Amino acid sequence: MSYTLNFAAVWRSFDLLLQGLALSLGLAVVAILAGSVLGLVTAFGLVSKSEVLRRPAGLYVTIIRNTPILVLVLFSYFALPQLGIRLGKIESFVLTLAVYAGAYLAEVFRGGLIAVPPGQREAGLAIGLTEMQIRTSIIIPLMLRNVLPSLGSTMISLFKDTSLAAAIAVPELTFEARKINVETFRVIETWIVASCLYVATCSLLAALMRAVERRLAVPR
Amino acid sequence: MMKSFTMVASLAVAALALPAQAQQPSSKLDEVLARGHLILGTGSTNAPWHFKSAEDKLQGFDVDMGRIVAKALFGDPEKIEFVNQSSDARIPNITTDKVDITCQFMTVTGERAQQIAFTIPYYREGVGLMLKADGKYADYEALKAGGSSVTVSVLQNVYAEDMVHAALPEATVDQYESQDLIYQALESGRADAAATDQSSLAWYMTQNPGRYKDAGYGWNPQTYACGVKRGDQDWLNFVNTALHEAMTGVEFDFYAKSFKTWFGKDLTPPQIGFPVEYK
Amino acid sequence: MDIAFLDQLWAARIPLVRGLGISISISLLSIAVGTVLGVLVGLALTYGARPLNWLVRGYTDFIRGTPVLVLVLASYYVLSTVGIDLGPFQAGVLALAVFCSSHVGELVRGALQSIPKGQSEAAKAIGLTFPQTFAYVLGPQAFRQALPAWVNTAAEMVKASTLLSIIGVGELLLSTQEVISRTFMSLEFYFFAGFLYFVINYGIERFGRYVERKTAVPS
Repeated sequence: MSYTLNFAAVWRSFDLLLQGLALSLGLAVVAILAGSVLGLVTAFGLVSKSEVLRRPAGLYVTIIRNTPILVLVLFSYFALPQLGIRLGKIESFVLTLAVYAGAYLAEVFRGGLIAVPPGQREAGLAIGLTEMQIRTSIIIPLMLRNVLPSLGSTMISLFKDTSLAAAIAVPELTFEARKINVETFRVIETWIVASCLYVATCSLLAALMRAVERRLAVPR
Repeated sequence: MMKSFTMVASLAVAALALPAQAQQPSSKLDEVLARGHLILGTGSTNAPWHFKSAEDKLQGFDVDMGRIVAKALFGDPEKIEFVNQSSDARIPNITTDKVDITCQFMTVTGERAQQIAFTIPYYREGVGLMLKADGKYADYEALKAGGSSVTVSVLQNVYAEDMVHAALPEATVDQYESQDLIYQALESGRADAAATDQSSLAWYMTQNPGRYKDAGYGWNPQTYACGVKRGDQDWLNFVNTALHEAMTGVEFDFYAKSFKTWFGKDLTPPQIGFPVEYK
Repeated sequence: MDIAFLDQLWAARIPLVRGLGISISISLLSIAVGTVLGVLVGLALTYGARPLNWLVRGYTDFIRGTPVLVLVLASYYVLSTVGIDLGPFQAGVLALAVFCSSHVGELVRGALQSIPKGQSEAAKAIGLTFPQTFAYVLGPQAFRQALPAWVNTAAEMVKASTLLSIIGVGELLLSTQEVISRTFMSLEFYFFAGFLYFVINYGIERFGRYVERKTAVPS
C-alpha cells in the first residue's frame, strides 16, 4: 500500500500517447478496409458451390483464425524478407492485420450471406439482373445489414489488435505506453491512461456502429 | 526492600522496553532470513545475463549476483525463488514488494534512483556494434561513411536513438522488443549493424563463430547494479556487503568464476594489503 | 527444417512441453471461470433491473474496450497497489477470465434476445414460472444459439494466453522465447509454437462443430 499514484510523468508524455493512438486508428482503418475486401471475396468463396473456390477460401480462414496474431506479425516481418518480400514495419503490420481481418470478416460475411433468402436472388434474376448486379445491389447490402452487430465487434477487436504492432516497434499506443514505462517506470499510471484511451476510442466506435445500425434497421 | 524495588523497576523498564523493541521496524533482512530463501526478480531471455540452460535452469551473470546474495544469507547459493519479469517490470516489482531484490542488467540512472535504491555496481557495460562477417560494411569507419543509408537495430529504450547517434550521427535507428529480434534484423538484412551491450555481442559471437564480427568501437558507459526497495538501509547495506566481498574479498573466486563463464575473461585477484577501495 | 533445428527442438522438448501444459491450464481455467461469470453477466444484461443492468453494461463495455494485453498488465500491477497481491499466474488467469466473461456475457445476451418473444409468451400461457421458462424454453435455445460463438471465444482465450508471457508466466510463448534466447533460432521456434497453437485451436474448432451438430435443431 506504500505506492502512491503520480500521473505527472504520464501527462508530460501525453502527446506521445495521442500520437500513438492516432497511428493505432490509422493502422486499424487501413487494415479493416483491405481486410473487408479480402473477407468479402473469401466469403463468396466460402458459400460458393465450386469446390475449387471453397477449398482455398476455407483453408485460408482456418489457418489464419487458428494461429495467434503475434506469430503472424513476426512471420511477415522476419520471414517474408527471406522469401524476397521486403516491407517496412508499418506496411508489414498492416498487411498482416489485413490478412488476419480478412479471415475473421470472411466468417462474419459468410454468416450474413447464408441469411439472405434465396428468393432475393431469384427475384433479381427475374427482373433481368446479372449475377454481378445481384451481388452488388441486392445481396451485399442485405448481407451488410444482417451482419452489422458482429461486424462492429469484429472491427473493435481488430482495432485492439493493433496493440501487437508494438512487438515490431511500430510506434502506436501500446508501444508509446511501454516506452514511457521504460523511461519513467510509472507502469501503473501509464496503463491506466492508455487503457482509458483504448476504452474511449472503442466506445466511440461502438456508438458509431450502433448509430449506423439504427439508421439501417429494417423498419418494423 | 531495596532489592525488590530494583526488581520492580527493572520489570517496569523491561515492560516499557518490550513493546518499544517490537515496534522497531523490522528489516527485509530479517524477513528474508525468517523465510529461508531469497526472492530474486530477473528475466529469462537475455544471454549471458539471465537465460535458461538446455536443462531449463535459469543461469547467467545476473543470476549469479543473486546467488552471491543467497550464499551470504544462508550459506547456500541455491536458496532462491525466481520471479520472472520483463524489463519494464523491474521497478514496479520492487516497489510493490513482489521481489526482495532485482538483478536484471539494470542501468543506474538518477531518475530510477528516485524510485528504488541501487546497490553498489557489479558490472560496467558499454555498447558495441556487430556486423555480418560477409556484410556490406567492413568496420565502424565504413558504417560512419555510410551516413543515413545505414540501418542499426537496437533494443527498445528511451535512450536508444540518441545512443546510436552518439556513434553514428546519421544512421537510421530501428528499435526492437527483444535481443533475438535485433540479431534477427541483422541476419535478415533489415539492419546493417546491431548495436547492443558488448557483453551480449561477445556472447552471441562466441555462440555463432565466423558469422559475425565486431565493428571495433565501443561507447556509452553504463553501470549495472541490483535494486532494492527504498527506505530499508539495513537490507541495502547487507546486499552491498555481500556484493562488495564478492568483488574484493572472501567470495572473489565465486565472482571471478562467474565472470569467466559469461564474459570469457579472467580477472586479476584484488591486491593483498592496502584495500583497493582507497587507492 | 534442418537437422540443427531438430536437434535443438529435441534438446528443448522438456521446457516446451511444460510451457504447453501451462498454456493449456491457463486457457482451461480462464475459459471455465470466464464462462461462469459470463453467464451471470449475460443474465444481468438481459433481465437485470436498471442499476444492475447499467453497472454490468459499464463493466462489459470497459473490458471489451481494453486490449487484453492491457488487462493482463493492469491485473498484475494495479491490483497489488490496492493490497491484492497475486502471482503472475493468478493475475493473468484473472485478467483472461474477466476478458472472457465480458465476451460470454455479450454472447448470452445476444442469444437470449434473439429468441422470439412468442416463446416466452407461450411459456407464460401454459403457466410456467420465469425460472421454469428459462430452464426449459429460453436456456436450451440460447445455448444452441451461443455455442458456435462460445467455441470461438475459447479459441481466442488460447491465443490470448500468449500475452501472459509478458508478466513472466512460463507458458508456451515464453518457453519458446527462452529457447530462442539460447539457440537464436527465432523463425523456426516461433513457427513451431505457431503450429502447436494452430493444432490446439483447430482441435477446439472441430470439437465445436461436433457439439454444434449434436445440438442442432433437427430439420
